[in-house]
Amino acid sequence: MSYDFSLEYIFENAPLLLDGFLMTIWVSVISIAISVVIGVCGAAIRLLRIPVLSQLVAAYVHFIRSTPLLPQIFFIFYGLASIGIPLSSFWAGVLALSIWGGAYNVENVRGGFLAISKGLHEAAESLAFSPFHYLWLVAVPLGVRVSLPSMLNTAVSVLKNSAYLQAIGLAELTFVAMDKVSLEFRTLEMFAAIGVLYLGLVLTLSILVRELEKVLQRPFRP
Amino acid sequence: MDIILNNLPLLWTGLLRTLELAVVTLVGSTVISVIFGLAGVARSRVLRLVSMAYVEFFRDIPLIVNVLFVYFGAPLIGVSLDPFGAATISFSLWGGANGAEIVRSGFNAVPRHQEQSAMALGLKPWEIMWYVLAPQALLPIIPPFTGLFSLLIQATSLASMVGAMEFFRSAQIIVERTTMMTGFSPAFMVYGFVLLVYFVICASLSALTKLLEKRLSERQTRRRGTAAPIPQPAQESI
Repeated sequence: MSYDFSLEYIFENAPLLLDGFLMTIWVSVISIAISVVIGVCGAAIRLLRIPVLSQLVAAYVHFIRSTPLLPQIFFIFYGLASIGIPLSSFWAGVLALSIWGGAYNVENVRGGFLAISKGLHEAAESLAFSPFHYLWLVAVPLGVRVSLPSMLNTAVSVLKNSAYLQAIGLAELTFVAMDKVSLEFRTLEMFAAIGVLYLGLVLTLSILVRELEKVLQRPFRP
Repeated sequence: MDIILNNLPLLWTGLLRTLELAVVTLVGSTVISVIFGLAGVARSRVLRLVSMAYVEFFRDIPLIVNVLFVYFGAPLIGVSLDPFGAATISFSLWGGANGAEIVRSGFNAVPRHQEQSAMALGLKPWEIMWYVLAPQALLPIIPPFTGLFSLLIQATSLASMVGAMEFFRSAQIIVERTTMMTGFSPAFMVYGFVLLVYFVICASLSALTKLLEKRLSERQTRRRGTAAPIPQPAQESI
């Protein structure tokens, strides 16, 4: 069986793929931004040990990390619609990815907070810092810096997992390609194209993360 | 709640297929991860590069694209796969990439002097591997592998995208059927229940992971006086 791989086919469909690509980036960027906010706030709640809220955040993180993303997306898109909260596939996607990425970011930032040395906490206490001051002036600037690489890794995962949103009909990269495949059966071309796009995006970001890690480590090296 | 009780047999069959798929892919992943994990610590540069390229490739492509590609791409080479076959292959390839990282970090965690002492005693390379390195490297990777199993269970939900009748797909069918028959969608209830079941399974597995980690570090403390750090490769998330 022979299959003639046609590069022209990919170029013919480049505008279409570009639209999908931009949608992938757009939905990911919004979700990543929200998930970072969730992460910092959640980790701050855990650090300050606010009663009830702190336990709720811990339960939220545990639950999201122990359940697969695809049913979460379906729960938010179809489930909320069935109890009278209809969301467009775009906003349902943003909500699902933000909640998912947020859970991972809470752990990332919390890890950063825990990495701060005890001495700094004692110093802040002896200067009569309130817990809130400690959080704002010591924990956030230092902790977020330490957790930046792992937060970026989570961001890469959010970007990759935005492909799941094709299941609820969001016209992002995978959806656009699958739509074409089901019409014209140029399977190999389409998958090659989106494979290269995803690989390019993720690899670039991962290299950036590694570089950033080196830069951030600089002040801590002898 | 009625909706779930009425459809319990379908959900139960789906859950069994999900667990079956997860176990089969765990076996496949383990085989692949040992091969590529060993290649990752090989002396040959080419082997190390091949292992690295494999791991990067399968970890960087979204898993769902991988599943769709195996399912729709297989006919191109003249093979026709059923949904379960396609899911098994793609999850094994993906799990193998994650497992290879675990195996590699397990071997890297063995102190260098172990290998050097074994060489000084005149052991052959395969003897060093089999009697010295492997036993020390493989024990600490058991906890991360239970973590990988939990990840694979979560990944199986993606098999529903190519129509495999596993747990999540049976839930989707219940929602679709009920919506068509009654005009009212039970999605909130059914998908909420699905999430709860996944949570119970995966949370128990991560509790097991923690327990194994604790037992392992206690065992090492008894033997060596200090606990070696358990390898924690960058966890993939699903």
